[in-house]
Amino acid sequence: MSVVAFERKQDSGEWSEKELSTLVAAVGAASRTGREWETGMTEQGDAQFYLLGPRPEQACELCVSRIGGRYILEDGSGRLLFEHRNLELVALHAKAAVPSTSWLMVRAVTLWCAIRNTIHEKAEPLLVEGEELLVQFVPQLAAFA
Amino acid sequence: MKRGKHQDVFTERPPAKAAPDAKQLRKLAGDWLKLRRADAELSQADLAARLGLKYYTFISQVENGFSRVPTEIMGAWARELGLEPAAFARHLLMYYEPEMHRLLFGAESK
Repeated sequence: MSVVAFERKQDSGEWSEKELSTLVAAVGAASRTGREWETGMTEQGDAQFYLLGPRPEQACELCVSRIGGRYILEDGSGRLLFEHRNLELVALHAKAAVPSTSWLMVRAVTLWCAIRNTIHEKAEPLLVEGEELLVQFVPQLAAFA
Repeated sequence: MKRGKHQDVFTERPPAKAAPDAKQLRKLAGDWLKLRRADAELSQADLAARLGLKYYTFISQVENGFSRVPTEIMGAWARELGLEPAAFARHLLMYYEPEMHRLLFGAESK
């Protein structure tokens, strides 16, 4: 008689390597945008995975916890985003919930526009002043010529 | 040892060292919250249930220093720990927004 070895699902304790690699793979793209991740435990010994935002705040953006074989996806304010016994499914939802690079792009473009506007506001009076000086002096220079 | 409520629980200060970063301060806030919860003899699950949370994982997230106590449930969190909400909020502000805390309360809180 042959016995098929089924993989035993972990219900409590630290993340298994497989679980961790699934989560890291899901939020891998986020780590390229300056985000880091950390793991922790609840007081009852349930594993937690935290995706942290960029420095310096490094506030939690997403948290995946495992409670009794069930995976819980929450955001950094404790809003329940998804829960399921299948980690792959939860990881997919985590991936979709990560604030995307397009959001970062929007912030970068907004910042660039603000800088341009500031420069424009500062430079414009100087240019106008220069123009007025030119208007005053050109006839006199022309007279000398 | 159980402390008298509203007495000296707010006198604890972050250690006076050169400007700890936001993450360190959140961790200190989390440690303080954990102590206050222990004083109230509540588990993370008890507190979550009293705050109407489906899971207790968010309590752990905050106490481990990865998130802040959200403003909208700060009052309820304080009451469940048997603390006065305004003093609780003021104490947490010292960790979450130290500069704001200094501007608002300045030397009187030292």
